[in-house]
Amino acid sequence: MVAVPEPAYRSAYGDLVLDGSREFKLHTDIYTDRDVFDAEMRDIFESSWVYVAHESQVPASGDYKTTSIGSQPVIVSRHEDGQVYVLLNRCRHRGSVVCRDDLGHSNYFRCPYHNWSYANDGKLVGMAQASGYPDDFDKSQWGMRPAPGVHSYRGLIFACLGEHAPSFDEWFAPVRKYVDWWLDRSPLGTITVLPKPHKYPYPGNWKWQAENGHDGYHGNYVHESWQRVLERAGEDSVRDIRKYRTGGCTRGMKYGHGLLERPGGLNAAASWTGRMMAKYPEYASALAASFSPQEIEEISARRNIFVFPNLYLFDTQIRVIKPITYDSTEVQLFVYALDGVPDALNEGRYRAHERFYGPSGFGSPDDVEIFVCNQTGVRARGIEWALMSRGMHREVTNEDGEQVGHSTDETPVRALYREWKRLMSK
Amino acid sequence: MTTVDRTHTLDRATAEALIYREARLLDTLQLEEWLTLFTEDGLYWLPMEDGDIADAATTISIVYDDTDRRAERVFRTLHTPVLDQNPRSRTMHMVNNVELEGTDEHGDAKVLCNQIIGENRPGGDGQVGLNGTRVLLARCDYRLRATDSGWRISMKKLLLLNADQPIYNLTFLL
Repeated sequence: MVAVPEPAYRSAYGDLVLDGSREFKLHTDIYTDRDVFDAEMRDIFESSWVYVAHESQVPASGDYKTTSIGSQPVIVSRHEDGQVYVLLNRCRHRGSVVCRDDLGHSNYFRCPYHNWSYANDGKLVGMAQASGYPDDFDKSQWGMRPAPGVHSYRGLIFACLGEHAPSFDEWFAPVRKYVDWWLDRSPLGTITVLPKPHKYPYPGNWKWQAENGHDGYHGNYVHESWQRVLERAGEDSVRDIRKYRTGGCTRGMKYGHGLLERPGGLNAAASWTGRMMAKYPEYASALAASFSPQEIEEISARRNIFVFPNLYLFDTQIRVIKPITYDSTEVQLFVYALDGVPDALNEGRYRAHERFYGPSGFGSPDDVEIFVCNQTGVRARGIEWALMSRGMHREVTNEDGEQVGHSTDETPVRALYREWKRLMSK
Repeated sequence: MTTVDRTHTLDRATAEALIYREARLLDTLQLEEWLTLFTEDGLYWLPMEDGDIADAATTISIVYDDTDRRAERVFRTLHTPVLDQNPRSRTMHMVNNVELEGTDEHGDAKVLCNQIIGENRPGGDGQVGLNGTRVLLARCDYRLRATDSGWRISMKKLLLLNADQPIYNLTFLL
């Protein structure tokens, strides 16, 4: 049998993204190929910064939250020194996980297999029947492996398993001011994550969700049903929504970050924040005590902020994208309270969240339906390339180095794939 | 509004007949008629974990539908171009382990049961996400109230066995 030569692009997955002067194209192997997926886990998720948890989920010493970095199980753990450690969830003895719960509190992590025990910072503190090891057995060499990089930014905890990633500050800088404005909707500048997230799986590639969260192009079509619901409720006419959807912009940034932005405003007609300020005067005065009107206008802009590769910051939720296989993904929506606002304001946010998001919402499931339509469609071959060039001819680069496009342009998706290409070209 | 006859006690056969009828309306997509089974202040609730109604103020639920939101959900399902119910789900409710548990603090009759809900979305050959049949399991807590037009549901709380786990498309009525 004649050996079939490997296609040229397989030696460098970066070639699966074609960043031309007039066309930006994606080879659809990026959604269907197991080897590409494995390379993504290794070269993206397990080599660069990823979001792992929020500090309000591990407020006290001994608190922990388990999660994954790429395909690797980790524990986000707060030690008695008050520091957050991100530890590979693997006993150094024979490899079992040492923690199986989602969220909890424990004075130590004990392996279920042979009772090796670890402190909350991962140090090995003891083994069962320790006389089976020599007196000079060096426990300090057999602690749980910590992530080399851990950084908390205003409560958002990021970790990095790679040794060669940019510093957190360098990596986060392009998107930082938008995250600040997102957090500053709380007069205290902080949020508290609710205990139970909405979670939905879908039988499709993780990048469908990554591309869609800041896509301003699909709303009038995928969410026409939602527009009818709003119209019936007397909240907005479909015509008004469609006009609104042409306002604002998209932004693409270095390191793959990006966002979709709708303009803000201080009056009730202009923004959600404006409506809340009108409804709750104490909220308005708390914001005014900390920020200028210009700053409040920025704070009130509605943004879907993507922090490459696995995090979206939405008005009601921290959204985490968890890739499982090339055609299996789980999305977790961690709804949060804005700290320092009236309880009724947060309750209204929870009810608004349930209305649109989650497995029974009037919006999220329509998006998921598209993800599975895509996953079916890209099996058709002989076409191979998907087109991501919408708005290339009209986007501009601003003084911060951001590409700024029309609200329906694929500007942030191109930023995502430029970073993908960079990391997958090594 | 005439006085509700609080002395009218619910018997098991009446409770079962109401829940079976509800199941049939859901399974045959007679959702506008399903809406009429609820009282004016009725709640249709799928929490993320077991708890009291008061908890809903400080947590999120999968569904927390008062009368307006229920009507909105039915409108959306039947009369708008939904993608997530196109094709529509076929469902089959099985009602088991029915127990009458007296009355609650509002004087409403408490009826507990378990439900097995089968769901299938038919589609073309090889369409990802379609054609499989799922089985959902739920513990249900109904509160029923005697009204002039018969027994009505003042609350339907449906706690899925996997309520806090990842759940794919749950856009049909449960």
